[in-house]
Amino acid sequence: MIRHIARKEFTDVMRDGRFRWSSILVGALLLVSLAHGWDQTRKARQEHAAAQATAREHWDTQGEKNPHSAAHYGIYAFKPRLALSFVDEGVDPYTGTSVWLEAHRQNDFLLRPAQDATAAQRIGALTAAQVLQHLLPLLIILLTFAAFAGERERGTLRQLLATGVGRRELATGKALGIAGALSLLLAPAALVGAAALVVANPGPAASPLARAAVLAGVYLAYFTAFLALSLAVSAWARSARTALVVLLTVWVVNGLVAPRVAVDLSKRLHPTPSALEFARTVEQEMAASVEGISRPDRDESTRRLLAEYGVESVEDLPINAVGVYLQESEEFGNRIFDRNYGALWDAFERQGVVHETLAVAAPLLAVRTLSMGLAGTDVEQHRHFASAAETYRRDLMRRMNGDMTENSLTGDFTYTVGAEVWEAVPSLQYAAPTLGWVLGNRGLSLAVLGAWLVGAILAAAVRVRRAEVG
Amino acid sequence: MTESPTALLEARGLSKDYGDTRALDSLDLAIAPGEVYCLLGPNGAGKTTTINLFLGFVAPSAGRALVAGLDVSTHDRETKRLLAYIPEQVMLYRNLSGLENLEYFAALGGQGSLGRKRLTEILVEAGLERETVGRRVSAYSKGMRQKVGIAIAIAKEADALLLDEPTSGLDPKASNEFSALVERLRERGVAVLMATHDLFRAKDTGTRVGIMRYGRLVTELSTAEIGHADLERIYLEHMQADTQANGGSP
Repeated sequence: MIRHIARKEFTDVMRDGRFRWSSILVGALLLVSLAHGWDQTRKARQEHAAAQATAREHWDTQGEKNPHSAAHYGIYAFKPRLALSFVDEGVDPYTGTSVWLEAHRQNDFLLRPAQDATAAQRIGALTAAQVLQHLLPLLIILLTFAAFAGERERGTLRQLLATGVGRRELATGKALGIAGALSLLLAPAALVGAAALVVANPGPAASPLARAAVLAGVYLAYFTAFLALSLAVSAWARSARTALVVLLTVWVVNGLVAPRVAVDLSKRLHPTPSALEFARTVEQEMAASVEGISRPDRDESTRRLLAEYGVESVEDLPINAVGVYLQESEEFGNRIFDRNYGALWDAFERQGVVHETLAVAAPLLAVRTLSMGLAGTDVEQHRHFASAAETYRRDLMRRMNGDMTENSLTGDFTYTVGAEVWEAVPSLQYAAPTLGWVLGNRGLSLAVLGAWLVGAILAAAVRVRRAEVG
Repeated sequence: MTESPTALLEARGLSKDYGDTRALDSLDLAIAPGEVYCLLGPNGAGKTTTINLFLGFVAPSAGRALVAGLDVSTHDRETKRLLAYIPEQVMLYRNLSGLENLEYFAALGGQGSLGRKRLTEILVEAGLERETVGRRVSAYSKGMRQKVGIAIAIAKEADALLLDEPTSGLDPKASNEFSALVERLRERGVAVLMATHDLFRAKDTGTRVGIMRYGRLVTELSTAEIGHADLERIYLEHMQADTQANGGSP
């Protein structure tokens, strides 16, 4: 029975010119955005690899100099693009993908495409994730709003139900038929996506295929929730026009209003400083100690070393006291950075929780968070990389200051080292978070999306059972 | 009222209220296999409500609607399997052909195993020209759609047929063809309940006629015992009597 209904619904939809044209349009946009995303990812990886190699070469060939000077010379680190970032570029255009690692400073990330984009580019930059999150639900609404309300208006619902078919079977068949038509639209995109995953270097993400499978599951749940919700509204509404108006309102709230409200509300509840304010605060705290974090005193440091080594003057020390002091200054700066960046990241994460919580009113917010998370382009994974880069920077500084401390004496301003020291510094080896780590962070979004799915299916079941014949 | 122990369609004290309005008032009715019962009456007399109650589309306020002895309220699926329904305007899926529409409705009615050849024969039997069965119904006239509706009823091989103003808007030729089809179904033993305004068609097609007014069955006649003129006179007498009883406004 359900098979017959699904087949008829599929045929009906496929013969509908409106569906053909709208699906061709959405399908083309999806393919183009996937291809564009893949090309961007490929180019970004090539550019990052080239830039990383150049940066490393510059480091290795910087010539003879004092290790602390080398620490100031610094090196670039590039956030790797994960395999699925071609589907959802997430916050990368805003947070940047490269950072300069140097002494005494935890720099902001560079290479932020959004910073350089024109207004037209921002509007035109349609990603595959945006097509899936915004246009597919719209297409589902357009295919489903008349499922019951239209049949009731036309009078076919009376004839259908008079055959003895149950309302639940009818709804299930219709859902499957519409899903079948949509799968024809999504199949090419899924194939292109899968091919891109296989062909492309998967990057440093753990389990890229598992991530892709979960991402597909997330979008499937999102589409199913929209399909069920549309069926529920269609069964409830007195006319197809009412069903369409209600569903378009849901679409606008979900896709346009809720994200805006989430941004404003999260900033109001958990305010973050502007980049300028943040930089000024860090600068001020670096210049003067803050409570619990004291700026190292050079004389005190020297006295401690003299006592430790049992000598009376710095010239008698077997190590370079300046190197020790420089490292102490570095660690002071690190504590200031940890205090400020930690608070900033925590505020971003609390803002993220507001977004995830508001998903109870708009499933898009949950899907968007999950999509970015699985693509490796969310704030948390940016923080993950930033932390790894900062750990690397601190290790690099420790090495440079340590070399100076261990291999030169206080007052020896001529001490220099060369390529053998630079080449001994390992490159940044970044391991992206595992799928479990990502899902562990996104439990709230998973729960809310699951609730939407179950709630929409239950609503459809209830409304369809009560659907009036007309 | 004629009692029939073998009634396929039976109403027992069947009533339906919509708010304060009584749409159907204690209807007692029994239709045996091979009988065509025509419900006559003006708009609002309760004819369509009666059909809706037999289809289980609305719940009765009192009484019972029975199909082959099964209460529609408690045996929704089973009773619908025994029924076929043709509305005043048979509505079909415009993007499907007549044959595809029939294939779909037949499958839902439990006749999914009928092949396209047999379904085509049924459409032709219902009066559709063979070369039109593959055309999309968006190009069909109302008469052609009604014929597909009849084909749906034939394909279902239902024991009882519910017809709600089925010839309304059909030209005389199509109406005659329709009557002939109903007669063939009657001969096969199908019990038919037909709501209609058409006195001529009721006399011609029906074996019994019931006249309804304000939700009540006011009289029942055997068509074999009266002529066209008698039926018209009796019908008008009832309408006029009710008009007078209601202060001159029908």
